[in-house]
Amino acid sequence: MIAAPVGLSPGGYVPKAYAERTAPKTPVAEFEAAKSGDVWQIRLRWACAEPHRELGDDVDRFIDAAAVLAPTVADAPMMTMGAPGKALEGALWRADRTGLIGVRAEGLGTVERGDAPEGWGAKAEWKAGRWSLDFELPGWSVLDARRRLAFAIWQGAEGGRGGLKSVSPGWIEIGT
Amino acid sequence: MASQNPTTRQIAMVLDLNKCIGCQTCTIACKKLWNTDTGTGYAYWNNVETLPGKGYPKDWVESGGRTPEGEVKAGRVPNLDDEYGRAWNFNHEAVRKRSGEGKEKPWLRPDGAPRWGANWDEDRGAGDYPQENHYFYLPRLCNHCTHPACLDACPRSAIEKRDEDGIVLVDQDRCHGYRFCVEACPYKKVYFDPKRQVSGKCIFCLPRIEEGVAPACARQCPGRLRFVGYLDDEAGPIWKLVNRYKVALPLHPEFELGPNVFYVPPMSPPKLDEKGRPTGEPRIPTEYLVGLFGKRVHEVLATLESEREKRRQGEPSELMDLLIAYDWNQNFALGPREREVL
Repeated sequence: MIAAPVGLSPGGYVPKAYAERTAPKTPVAEFEAAKSGDVWQIRLRWACAEPHRELGDDVDRFIDAAAVLAPTVADAPMMTMGAPGKALEGALWRADRTGLIGVRAEGLGTVERGDAPEGWGAKAEWKAGRWSLDFELPGWSVLDARRRLAFAIWQGAEGGRGGLKSVSPGWIEIGT
Repeated sequence: MASQNPTTRQIAMVLDLNKCIGCQTCTIACKKLWNTDTGTGYAYWNNVETLPGKGYPKDWVESGGRTPEGEVKAGRVPNLDDEYGRAWNFNHEAVRKRSGEGKEKPWLRPDGAPRWGANWDEDRGAGDYPQENHYFYLPRLCNHCTHPACLDACPRSAIEKRDEDGIVLVDQDRCHGYRFCVEACPYKKVYFDPKRQVSGKCIFCLPRIEEGVAPACARQCPGRLRFVGYLDDEAGPIWKLVNRYKVALPLHPEFELGPNVFYVPPMSPPKLDEKGRPTGEPRIPTEYLVGLFGKRVHEVLATLESEREKRRQGEPSELMDLLIAYDWNQNFALGPREREVL
């Protein structure tokens, strides 16, 4: 994994205030992807020394989260979260919620959140300093078509949110 | 420097600190109107703090803003326990029941163990009594800056500055709760609601403004110390105080954000010497005020003193009449916009 380049973040604040944040907070993540019938099963694991599962009523606390994304068109750029007319879509898991959140973006700062497609879900477990997250994503036609995906991981204990995340260095081909 | 363009019009507020009595009526008027949700217990879009003091949130002045060269300064999100302070209830019922019974004194206490609050250091001030002790009240709200740090910080463009009046608003439907706006605002006037997981801030009582009614904090002020209007209205109080008489100054202009809330700095009685005689030196150190409002404090205090002297001599002073607010209607110059009636 690499640190998402904060220099690309929209607005004038984040690129300057977080210019030093060049190393990924999650250097390594392991994944497995398989298709069983109509269902994509994607397992993601990463080290997390201090899980952040809820905000409570704190205002300076951030939540662990992870996303799996796929391009809707072949040349959708991954590092900029897509581009106008070249969307990414996928699922966002947050440690403080039970269900998945559907996401779609056509560029940095354009992420739209909504209900995940019917039947999409995830099971997560934190144990011995690691998160293990199993996505179950039936009928994900975009992944069927493009056969490439990307990941993003936010470490709440490290102030992860928005562009302050670790991402796969590019699209990962998952073969046929 | 942020690239936000000046808006067609800019609404603004002037607060005369010589008249603030720290009654918190403005704070409550705002709080009851806009921030009663569960996740906003700690959030005061308007607060009044005692200066010298650490303010609310604690030591807010040390986080965010820009350098004189216009470079972004990294801020941070204050902590609820130590910097905002958790809202608490008092043991009124216990005290009431125990009143007059037994030997144990029924002290009124908070139900938790708060470490800070919105007016934690109220009336402490600074200086040795009785020679030079001093304090004054500073009401604070969002400055609806010309170059808002919050707007510049939001990667989602969820914050806008309205062209028609310069009011800065958070679009909570777009907000994803990243809190970069909270970090970046050096005045710490954006608040995160952990229950709804969105940021919120003063909206300058937008629905009232659109009906030509001043914000609740201004209308409810018993001291009549707030003036509201448009910066370009030469007949209104804001233009007179900011541009004609030049007695209203922005708070911390060194943050380089172009605040549109202005303050008439406080005058103060003289210090006393060791024999209790007035020294002629103001109790509130002028350099302290310069640290808050910039170098123009010197000329503003001189103007105020000069105009006061005019009135002492029985001469007219439009400035003093305006600041005294003999006619409260002159404090506000707002008109309802033409709008389609549905």
